[in-house]
Amino acid sequence: MRKRKDIITSTGVTVHQKPLKLRIWNNRGYYLMFLPVFIFVIIMNYWPMLGVRYAFYDYKPVGEPSWVGLAHFTKMFSTTAFWVAFRNTLELSIMRLLISTFASVVVSVFLNEMGNLMAKKVLQTIIYLPHFMSWAVVASIFSLLLSPSSTGMVNGWLKDLGILARDQAGIYFLADTKLWRPIFYIINTWKETGWGTIIFLATLSGINPELYEAADIDGASRMQKIRYVTLPALNNTIITVLILNLAKVMNMFEPIFVLYNNAVYSVSDVIATYIYRQTFAIALPNYGYSTATGLFRSLVGGALVLICNQISKKTRGRGII
Amino acid sequence: MKKKLICMLLTAAAAASLTACGGDGSNDSPSASDSSNAAAEQTSSNGAADASAEDSSEGGYKLDKIVMVVDGTLTASVDNGQAELEKQWEEAVGVDLEIQQLDHSGYIDAVGRLFASGDYPDVMIMPADMFAQYLPTGLLWDMTEAYDNADFQKRMLLPEINEALKVKGGGRLYGFAPTYGNGCVTYVKKAWLDALDINADDIKTYDDYYNMLLRFHNEDPDGNGVNGDTYGVVAAGFVGNEAPYINYLPEFWQDAYPGILQGEDGVWYDGFQTEETRAALLRLQQAYAEGAIDPETLTASTKIAREKWFSNDQTGSSGVFTYWAGRWYQTLTDSFVKNDVDAELVQLPPIQEVGAYINREAPVWVIIDDGDGDNSREQAIFDAFFETMMDGDVVQTLWTYGAEDVHWSIHAEEFSTNADDPDKRKDYSYEEGVFHLRPSINDPNSMWTKNLFDPNLVVCELTNGYGDPSELMAAGNKFFAENSKDAPMSPVSETYTNESGTLYDAKLAVITEVVIKGGDVDAAMQTYVSTVGGTIDQCLSELNGQ
Repeated sequence: MRKRKDIITSTGVTVHQKPLKLRIWNNRGYYLMFLPVFIFVIIMNYWPMLGVRYAFYDYKPVGEPSWVGLAHFTKMFSTTAFWVAFRNTLELSIMRLLISTFASVVVSVFLNEMGNLMAKKVLQTIIYLPHFMSWAVVASIFSLLLSPSSTGMVNGWLKDLGILARDQAGIYFLADTKLWRPIFYIINTWKETGWGTIIFLATLSGINPELYEAADIDGASRMQKIRYVTLPALNNTIITVLILNLAKVMNMFEPIFVLYNNAVYSVSDVIATYIYRQTFAIALPNYGYSTATGLFRSLVGGALVLICNQISKKTRGRGII
Repeated sequence: MKKKLICMLLTAAAAASLTACGGDGSNDSPSASDSSNAAAEQTSSNGAADASAEDSSEGGYKLDKIVMVVDGTLTASVDNGQAELEKQWEEAVGVDLEIQQLDHSGYIDAVGRLFASGDYPDVMIMPADMFAQYLPTGLLWDMTEAYDNADFQKRMLLPEINEALKVKGGGRLYGFAPTYGNGCVTYVKKAWLDALDINADDIKTYDDYYNMLLRFHNEDPDGNGVNGDTYGVVAAGFVGNEAPYINYLPEFWQDAYPGILQGEDGVWYDGFQTEETRAALLRLQQAYAEGAIDPETLTASTKIAREKWFSNDQTGSSGVFTYWAGRWYQTLTDSFVKNDVDAELVQLPPIQEVGAYINREAPVWVIIDDGDGDNSREQAIFDAFFETMMDGDVVQTLWTYGAEDVHWSIHAEEFSTNADDPDKRKDYSYEEGVFHLRPSINDPNSMWTKNLFDPNLVVCELTNGYGDPSELMAAGNKFFAENSKDAPMSPVSETYTNESGTLYDAKLAVITEVVIKGGDVDAAMQTYVSTVGGTIDQCLSELNGQ
C-alpha cells in the first residue's frame, strides 16, 4: 500500500495529501485552462530548442547536415574575434547595467523629492519618451549629431567654442575606440533612464510616510531623509532589478548593431553581432557555427542566472527563480 | 527532490535534442536534406513543375508554373506594376509565373534562409560572388547544352560574357548572364568645377584628381561663402564587401585588388597582401587625413552616400562620386533636378593610373536542379524562361522595360511630370505607334527608365526597335563600354566560402587601422597575416589544386 504524504500547513496543522491523480482530477478545470498555455510554451519555446543539435553539425543552406562533433567549438575558442566579442559583451552589458540603474535611482529620488506635481509629471513624460524611439531612429539621430563632417552639430559646437580649430577635422566620435564606449553609455542612459525609473518610483510611493514624519521630528535634513529613509527602502528593488537584468547581459544586440562600425569592432563587437556577421554576411553561411556560438552564449547566460540566484539568496534571503 | 527532478528534466531535454540527430538523415533534417532531393520535393509540392503534367506531345515536359526569386534589380516591384508584368508574361508564355522579390540589401541572407527551409525556386538571380559559392554545391543545373542550342544564339551580341562563365564552371555553364556586369564611373559636379575654374579635361593623372579633391575641400565650390565645409569625394565604404571591391574609389585603389585573384600565370594569390594594396592604403590614409575624402565614407551606406551627394543642402557634400554607369547617370541627374541642385554631371574618363573602370562579373540567372537525373523539367524551364527572356521581342521587352501600357506604351498620349511646379514641369506628347516610357507608378514625377535589364547591356538585342529613349542612359553606357575592363574572376573554394566573413572583417581591420587611425601599414598587414594568414593559405592551396 502506498504511503500518503503528510504536509504541515502554515498554521501548523498536519493534513494528509491526496494522491496526485486525485488532485489533478479535483482541479481539472484549472488544468484544462492551463493546457493551451502549456502546449503553446512547449511548441513555441521548447520545441525550437531541438535546433541546438546543429551546433555539432556542418549545416549550410544547401546539402545534408554532417556531424562534426565539437569542431565548431574548437574553431570558436581558437578565434580571436570571438573572444574579443565575448569580453565586449560582458564589459558593455555590465557597465551599461550599472550606469543605467544608478541613473534611474538618482532620477527617481530626484522626482520623488519634487514638490511641484505638474513639473514632476511633465519631467517624467519627457524622460520616458526616448524609450519609445526605436534604436534605429536613435542611432540615426546621434549619427547626425556626432557626424565628423562639416554638418555635425557637436563638432560645430566644439569649433564655435574654440575647442577645435576652424580648419581642424571634426572628431569621429563613433569611429574612435576611446570615445565609442562613453558615447554608447551616454546614448543608452539618455534612452533608457526614464523607463528605468518607473519601478523605483513605484517603490518610493510605497514607503510609509510615517518614516519621513519620524525623521522630521528627529530633525533630519532632506539629504539625511534620502540617505536614511529613501535609499534603504530602495535597496531590495535595486538588487532585484540588477539581478534580473544581469541575467540578460548576453542578449545585447540591437543598440550595438545600429551604432557600431568596423573601426570600433575591438571595443564594440558583441557575441550577437559576431554571430550576425558570421551568418548573414556570407553567401553560404554555416548555421552550425552560428548555432554553436549561440549555444555557448545561452549557456553563459544560464550560468549567470544561476549565479544571480545564489547572490540573491545570500543578499535577500530568497532566490528569484 | 525538486532539484533532482529539474536536473532529470534538463538532462532528458538535452538528451532528446541530441538523440534527435542520430536518426535517419532523411527524416531528421528535411529542411536541409540533400539539395537535389529537397529541390525535387519542393517543386513537386508547390506544383511549380507537377510531374502529372508531363506532356508527351513533344517528348518534353509541360510546365504549369515557374517560381522565380529576384532581388531589387527588378524595378517593377509590387508597388510598381509587378502584377501587370506577371500577367503579361503569363499571357505571352502560357505558364503561370510567381515572382518572389526579396529585399535587395539582404538578398544573400534571405536566399540562404529560403534554401534552409526547403523552399527552392525554379529560377533565380545570383550576384557573381554568390554564384561562385553555390557553384560547387550541385544545386545549379548544368545548362551548357540548352544554352548552346538556344534560339537566341542567332541574336547573340556578346557571347564572351557567358563563355567566361563556362570557364568558371570548368567548361560547363551553370548560370546564364543576360547582360554584362556593368560597373562604376566617376561623376563630377560640373557646377563645382566651374566655380573653381577647373577643366575636367585636365584631370588625367592621380595628382590632377587629388588636387581637384583638395580644392573641393579647401575652397568654396558650393558658393556658400565658407571654405572647408565641403569634401572631395564620398563613397559607401573604403572597400566593398562584394567583388569587385574597389569600384567606389578606383582612383585610390588603382592597380590594387584587395581580394583573392588569379595571376596571368594562372596561380591564385591574395591581392590584399601586395605592395599595390599597401600603396593604395597610404593614398587613402593621406586623403582621409587631408579631408579629400568625406570622413563619413567609413560608415555610409550607398543610399546615404548618394543622398548626401545630391542633397538639397550642398554643405557637407562632395564634388565627386563614383557610382554605377548607364541608368544611374540619368537617375543621379534626375535626383539633382528634384532637389533643385545644378544637375549637370561630368563623367570623368579613367585617370592614367586607373586605366579603365572595372566591369564587374555579371549577375547570372540559374535553374535549380531537382536532382532526379532527368533534365526534361529543367530544359522546359530553360525554354519557357530563358529562351523567352532573350526572344528579342515581347518577353524581352517585358524584362527590359516592363508591362505594356503600364511602364511603357506605343499609343498616342500626353502627360506631364511635376505638373504643379512651373519650374520643373515637363510635358510629354507622343503620337500613335511611337515607343515611349511612361511616368513611374510610385513616383509620377519621375519617368520610368527600365525594368530588369538595362537595354544597352543585354547580350541579345531587341529586334522590335524599342530602343533606349534616355540619352543620358545611352551616353553613360557608351562611356562605360569605351572605358572599362573586366573584373578578375571570383574564387571558388570551400574554405573561402566558409571564411569569407572572417576574411572581410580582417581586411576592414587593416583598412580602418591605416586609413582612419593613421596606423602603420606594415604593422597592420602583419596583424592581418597573423589573424587570417592560415585561412588565406588554405584557400590558395585549394584554388591552386595543391
